[in-house]
Amino acid sequence: MIIDAIKSKFPGSIIGTGALVDKPMLIIKKDDILKVCEYAHELGFDHLSLITGVDYRDHFEVIYNLWSYSNKQDLVLKVMLDHENPKVQSVVSVWKSADWLERETYDLVGITFEGHPNLIRILLPDGWEGHPLRRDYDMQKEQYVLISETGEDIVTPDPSKALRPGKY
Amino acid sequence: METEQLMINMGPVHPSTHGVCRFKLIMNGEIIRDIIPVIGYLHRGTEKLGEMKTYLQFVPYTDRLDYISAMPNNYAFVKAVEELCGIEVPRRAEYIRVIVMELNRIVNHLVAIGSWLLDLGASTMIMYGFREREKVLSLYEMLCGARMTFNYIRFGGVRDDLPPGFIEKTREFLKEMPSRIADYEALLNDNEIFLMRMKNIGYISAKDAINIGVTGPTLRGSDVDYDIRKLQPYSVYEEFDFKACVRKEGDSYARYMVRIDEMRESLKIVEQALNNLPEGKVVSQTPGIGTYRWAPSTVSTFFPRIFNPPKGEVYSRVEAPKGELGFYVVSDGTNKPYRVKIRSPSFCNLNAIGTMVRGLKIPDLIAAFASIDIVLGDVDR
Amino acid sequence: MDQVEKKELIDTTKVRPKKRVPEISREKLEETGFLKTLLYSSERSRERKESILFSTVDQFLNWSRITSLWPVTSGLACCAIEMMAVSMAHFDIARFGMEVFRASPRQADLLFVAGTVTKRMAPRVKMLYEQMPEPKWVIAVGSCATSGGPYHESYCVLDGVDKIIPVDVYIPGCPPRPEAWLYGIIQLREKIKKEGYGAKWGMDK
Repeated sequence: MIIDAIKSKFPGSIIGTGALVDKPMLIIKKDDILKVCEYAHELGFDHLSLITGVDYRDHFEVIYNLWSYSNKQDLVLKVMLDHENPKVQSVVSVWKSADWLERETYDLVGITFEGHPNLIRILLPDGWEGHPLRRDYDMQKEQYVLISETGEDIVTPDPSKALRPGKY
Repeated sequence: METEQLMINMGPVHPSTHGVCRFKLIMNGEIIRDIIPVIGYLHRGTEKLGEMKTYLQFVPYTDRLDYISAMPNNYAFVKAVEELCGIEVPRRAEYIRVIVMELNRIVNHLVAIGSWLLDLGASTMIMYGFREREKVLSLYEMLCGARMTFNYIRFGGVRDDLPPGFIEKTREFLKEMPSRIADYEALLNDNEIFLMRMKNIGYISAKDAINIGVTGPTLRGSDVDYDIRKLQPYSVYEEFDFKACVRKEGDSYARYMVRIDEMRESLKIVEQALNNLPEGKVVSQTPGIGTYRWAPSTVSTFFPRIFNPPKGEVYSRVEAPKGELGFYVVSDGTNKPYRVKIRSPSFCNLNAIGTMVRGLKIPDLIAAFASIDIVLGDVDR
Repeated sequence: MDQVEKKELIDTTKVRPKKRVPEISREKLEETGFLKTLLYSSERSRERKESILFSTVDQFLNWSRITSLWPVTSGLACCAIEMMAVSMAHFDIARFGMEVFRASPRQADLLFVAGTVTKRMAPRVKMLYEQMPEPKWVIAVGSCATSGGPYHESYCVLDGVDKIIPVDVYIPGCPPRPEAWLYGIIQLREKIKKEGYGAKWGMDK
């Protein structure tokens, strides 16, 4: 029912349908995600539970989980992105909870959200190199954190200043 | 007269914050103009470890997320994988899970209220709270051997059956707990100092709360009736008679009253569960989950060594004591998950501190921040 | 706001802390009979109802340090909840003299490192340690602070806090039971009892 309403309004945007065990799922084109989200917000989906990114080796996926308090329904939206240049529009203007969820996805998976007011790292320090949850992240490379004189973090791969010398 | 805005750093190590959380406060004299939380000092990389460990090896890591109440965390992950595989859990195991999770809800609210009052300068409530917590922890120790990180709820049931003497001791605890809750209310409800520090501090409206993504007792204190145990019932919660506690005012005092009411409802649920406890096995005998007998018949559980769920994705959520805890699991048919994503309640609730605190002074910030009840293991994962 | 003079930060990798007083071996203490002096003399004074006590400077200093160690509130993760439980009424830590948890490190002399030390938090823990005045001791609580614990394969966790500060006692467990915590404190007291100023001043003969 909800799917039919969205299909009739945006016929060209939907690429596929599916189900996440028992929740209806729609795969949307990358450029239309903001319009579909605004329409879903009007239909009554006012709680954004989750925004995630997953790295399959040849493409990225971004998943949005929505819930409606008034109709008591779930909806899942998915967007497929290229591997070289993962960019998608930000939905901060619709739900404010997307603020920190998108920052975390940028930090750990490396997907850029256009239109986000403050897209900087949130869980890792600012100068960290690499995005850990990608499949090609090098776990053998160690990076250490020092404090500068102003109190901000500096990230270096050099352990000589960070660790105690000698045997422990 | 020239004035400037001052930035004060409430650093990661501070006796008032619940862990290592840092705030940058932009002040105009004594009034707070803006607040920027800086998190990530306890980021341990649990999600990356989820891709390197098998399903059964990942269950202890879920304990360490919200370490004050560890059973619902276990249950959220186990429920997600059980939905993916289609495993049916026996009824006795479901009842034991409900008993254990509701007792954990009581422990969590006791610690929350206790440390909230310790931040405000009163040390009585935390002594009372930890005294009751010791009784519940001795019950847990009888059950699974650990005090804080249990690793008790497994795929297809629970780890082991109830030991002899557990039901009698739980009934003793249930008998004396209502008078203790009456003690706490007599100490705090009409206390002038408490009311002055709590009423009208940290107000958030229902519309703002829903938009920012706040869940749990913080949301129910603002007149929104959202309790996952009632709206999307999981496990055997449909068979129990309890109500979701909602208050109208939206300030810190309302959130405190919601927590006291929830403790009473949890006691009711545990009593009903003990009265109707069915007989039977505690681990599912569904074919496909595998049987691997590793001890003689004194151990009533069988656990598979190799556990391969089918390909697919699942997102399932649970009403943890702090809010909505969700796990998004992607499986590719091997014995290790492809991706585990944790939607933690404290991470999304911390977003609301900005709206609650603008225009107040620093001691009000401490009272409002403690009323959201976050735990840094959940925020940073 | 930027007219404050910038002081140079001390680099503890180059500057060593003051040398700890050397230990006297237990055999030496026993053969000279110094170990039992305080105990016997207090019993004798009680029998004779006198108020004179005999002791050595070593024992007196060590006794005064052991019985009032003041810790800093520095709980990082799950082990911090066990720290709160140890300081509450059931397992009382106040009977060991530690009822006062000081908020400022400059007023304390014991640092409990309880919880996982991540790479981002490591320089702050080191700053806490440097701000404590001598004499100071460090207890590493839990398996995360000892050696990284269950997170030792992670990309952002430091493998043990003894990579940045020197540690006196390690308490294993995840989290350690309050009884294990108290056992660790007793081990620290035994360690402090062995410190000897007499050896430094040539009084052990």
